[in-house]
Amino acid sequence: MESGAVLSRTLTKKEFALSGTEVRTAETEFLEGCRAGSLPTFERLYQAHGGPMKSIALNLLGNVADAEDAVQEAFLKVYRGARRFRGGSSFSTWLYRILVNTCYDLLRKRRRRAEGPLPADVALISGRESDHPLRLSIEVALRRLDFRERTVFLLCEVEGFSHREAAEVLDVNENTSRTLLFRAKKQLQRSLSSAGAFAPVEVS
Amino acid sequence: MKADCRDLEKALRGGDPALLAAVEQHAQACLACRRELEEWRQISAAAPALKKSWDSPELWREIHGMLAAESQRPAPPARSPAPWGFGLRWLPAAAIVALFVVATAGLWVFRNSGGREPLANHWQTKEPLLTEQAVDEVEAAEKNYLASIDKLSKLAEPRLAGATSPILVNYKEKLDVLDSAIVELKASIDQNRFNTHLRKELLAVYGEKQRTLQNLMKEVKS
Repeated sequence: MESGAVLSRTLTKKEFALSGTEVRTAETEFLEGCRAGSLPTFERLYQAHGGPMKSIALNLLGNVADAEDAVQEAFLKVYRGARRFRGGSSFSTWLYRILVNTCYDLLRKRRRRAEGPLPADVALISGRESDHPLRLSIEVALRRLDFRERTVFLLCEVEGFSHREAAEVLDVNENTSRTLLFRAKKQLQRSLSSAGAFAPVEVS
Repeated sequence: MKADCRDLEKALRGGDPALLAAVEQHAQACLACRRELEEWRQISAAAPALKKSWDSPELWREIHGMLAAESQRPAPPARSPAPWGFGLRWLPAAAIVALFVVATAGLWVFRNSGGREPLANHWQTKEPLLTEQAVDEVEAAEKNYLASIDKLSKLAEPRLAGATSPILVNYKEKLDVLDSAIVELKASIDQNRFNTHLRKELLAVYGEKQRTLQNLMKEVKS
């Protein structure tokens, strides 16, 4: 997937940006508006990224209340920190980095859903797309992955981020992002295979 | 391009569509590789179904309210000239408190240094907050570590991926622990970039990861 793919797609839905140049313009507008503390800009930022942010947070944290708390806290941190943003990454990936770090902090503080049964909210809220027979098995197996592997899987495979975007979110390089995704999928494959979850492969 | 079973893992890591195509060609005649590829595809096909979507009509209102409240919070008061008319009344009491604080702090520093360490050195080493320039320098040092670690990681990755020997598994586990520590420290540093203690810890963990990777490479070579 091209760099900026998610950003471009998300904004297209909201009729904000279409081309790479327009994405950059929207990014600049977000950055300048957020630095100025403009609440209408924050509202546009929420409209553009609130959906994926909630989805990522729910998959990391396991319940709707925590996920919404994390999104809320991330916006507050962006509001407080926008003036100090130095531009090392795009503004949107910085937003997701803050969200992922917030989720990590919440998990660390609460120390609850790292193992054990699948929280009800994750299991009950199905995907936007039509459901898939492997979805529940993957959700259970995901919870046994290391936080970074899980995050890269969610960003790249679930939300459609490019490796470049995922690398910026996790503050690693693209190769590390590829390696983390490889490890994540390898472990998922082992778990699903031992649980007999895969559809049989044709022999002939 | 021709490929065989040994190329499967490299192809699955991504980044080389030609190699993946060659492995797919090979898999038509190799059941084990075909199964591996097919399972890999099933995971990717199922992944978008994990995307969550639900209505939360109150969420933006709550965020808006919180941001609006934040914008109303008074900025930290700017330092203004001392209101001498008010301050003078408290001057004797403030002077006594200040004297007490200085004396206590001096005694504490002297005791903790065992009476040997000069006071100036003490403040240099125990400074809790970094200046902007010091943060830039520390970040430059971190970048150097990261560049070195990336190079070593690329060399070590193929060895660790299929690690079966206990010593390699131990190295892999240690590296995972160090990676988790790095993520944790970075998350804390994002909250406070000027915290000396956290920065030092992060550099120490980077150093440990670099040494671990170097030892791993030595181990592999021997």
